[in-house]
Amino acid sequence: MAIEINHLEHVYNTDTPFEHKALHGIDLSIPEGKVTAIIGQTGSGKSTLVQHLNGLLIPSAGSLDICGFHIQPLLKIKDVKQLRKEVGLVFQFPEYQLFEETIEKDIAFGPKNFGETEENANELVRKILPMVGLDESYLQRSPFELSGGQKRRVAIAGILVLNPKVLVLDEPTAGLDPQGAKEMMSLFMELNQVQKKTILLVSHDMEHVMRYCDHVVVLDHGKVLQESDVKTFFEHPEWMMEVGINPPAIVRLKVMLKEKGFVIPDEILNEEELIQCIKGQVMIHE
Amino acid sequence: MNNIALGRYMPLNSSVHRMDPRAKILILLLLMIAIFIPAGVFGYVAIGLFILFSLMISKLKISYALRAMKPIFWMMIFLLVVNVLVIKTGTPWIQWGWFTVYSDAIYQTLYIVVRLMFMIVLTTILTATTKPLDLTLGIEKLLKPFEKIGVPAHIIAMMISIALRFIPTLIEETQRIMNAQASRGVDFENGGLKEKVFSILSLIVPLFVSSFDRAEQLANAMEARGYDPNKKRTRYKVLKMTGLDIVGMTGSICILGICIFICITKIGM
Ligand SMILES: Nc1ncnc2c1ncn2[C@@H]1O[C@H](COP(=O)(O)OP(=O)(O)OP(=O)(O)O)[C@@H](O)[C@H]1O
Ligand SMILES: [Mg+2]
Repeated sequence: MAIEINHLEHVYNTDTPFEHKALHGIDLSIPEGKVTAIIGQTGSGKSTLVQHLNGLLIPSAGSLDICGFHIQPLLKIKDVKQLRKEVGLVFQFPEYQLFEETIEKDIAFGPKNFGETEENANELVRKILPMVGLDESYLQRSPFELSGGQKRRVAIAGILVLNPKVLVLDEPTAGLDPQGAKEMMSLFMELNQVQKKTILLVSHDMEHVMRYCDHVVVLDHGKVLQESDVKTFFEHPEWMMEVGINPPAIVRLKVMLKEKGFVIPDEILNEEELIQCIKGQVMIHE
Repeated sequence: MNNIALGRYMPLNSSVHRMDPRAKILILLLLMIAIFIPAGVFGYVAIGLFILFSLMISKLKISYALRAMKPIFWMMIFLLVVNVLVIKTGTPWIQWGWFTVYSDAIYQTLYIVVRLMFMIVLTTILTATTKPLDLTLGIEKLLKPFEKIGVPAHIIAMMISIALRFIPTLIEETQRIMNAQASRGVDFENGGLKEKVFSILSLIVPLFVSSFDRAEQLANAMEARGYDPNKKRTRYKVLKMTGLDIVGMTGSICILGICIFICITKIGM
């Protein structure tokens, strides 16, 4: 079942001088089993929106339907606790959530909170660790003696171990080196393709959005500015620049080539095809 | 987490906001002393009126000050219960089988409650109308005379301002870690004692780790820019006392004087 968001509004610090309306009536339908990117400038409300998906924030107005839960204003935490198992939320810099003495205990923390026995939880940990690229020798080590990238893997494993149906990732690759970021994205893509998990990705990296996502949602000042599939989205880069999004390198290259008089069809979005296209035109010219 | 706004600076534009922080701190100190002097109903009425007046000209909402009281509500109830059970002097008021409530129990509770309320409202007014950095500057200036006897005024002020500076950061951090742990199934609101302890632990440990990280980074950044606490430095902002500052301080000195007078002479008690 898709995720349906209806007229969702969110106000922070209601009834204080700091009152701030972060979301102004969001209407969205997020397809199941797909990878959806949520992009937008800083402060546009991306993090606020995704925190509604597992009930961390409750809407001030409007509602959303997700995994059989109907979330509406004034809901209590007790009512949404099970939703947190269905929707795994990975925050920006998730390594700050680590706290246990050993990596094994830290990853097992989630399943135990949802009522798994100690043995079952440890079993799950052993299964999940290779998925994030760590082996069993790490189990008894302290999470605090790892490198930044390794810490993040452990933190992400702590969410994946809950086996959520929907995975929400708030800038999961921020601060990682390009290689680490690529590995991380490959892991998420595998989860999407093999386990058919629905993925929502908040990202500032248009290269990632173009390469990995199926669907794009653009937020601006708490409103949905545009929603489309990824191909259509990158075929028209002009307005992207208008709203201050830096398009991927290949799209920028296309714009420059067009200015110089090349004829490039809109649907070309990968290097191979672009090279062929340019080659063809250069040959004809000569 | 909605009471986080408490104790926070409220960016309004009132004459209390524009007062000299030194004057506000001194007024707070004077009134705090006055509150602890047993000066009977008359003293409390005087202090209460002063507070009410300050609250009015500070443009803060009464409801805001009342909300600051919420955390001590249960403490008040507890006090009342203990006092009613323990204090058996004064005139009996309510008779309920073998159980009697004496007047002193009620009076005693009221005294403590009123004192607590006054202190909380006063501090709330101070922090809500004074920017944290101004507050620190005020403290530094007030401590200046004590530098001669070895009180490191500047270092204390720097420590306070760093601490104040990091309160919002820590709140944000706390919120973020709570969100992250809640996403792993921690329930910070419900659950028995064992769950409570564990949920707090899952919050405190990461908070400590990141605070130490931050402290080290800040220390390095300050040292890298050549910070030396013992150097002489000038100030961008120069404090100046104005009319309302003098009036406020005179008023609170008078109130303190009256309270001391009543306390010594026992007139009107
Ligand atoms: N806890 C909070 N209290 C008050 N206001 C908040 C809070 N969190 C966010 N906001 C405000 O809501 C708006 C949207 O914030 P949000 O964090 O959702 O933006 P974002 O799109 O995720 O930005 P970024 O790309 O920087 O992460 C911002 O104007 C922000 O100041
Ligand atoms: Mg964000």
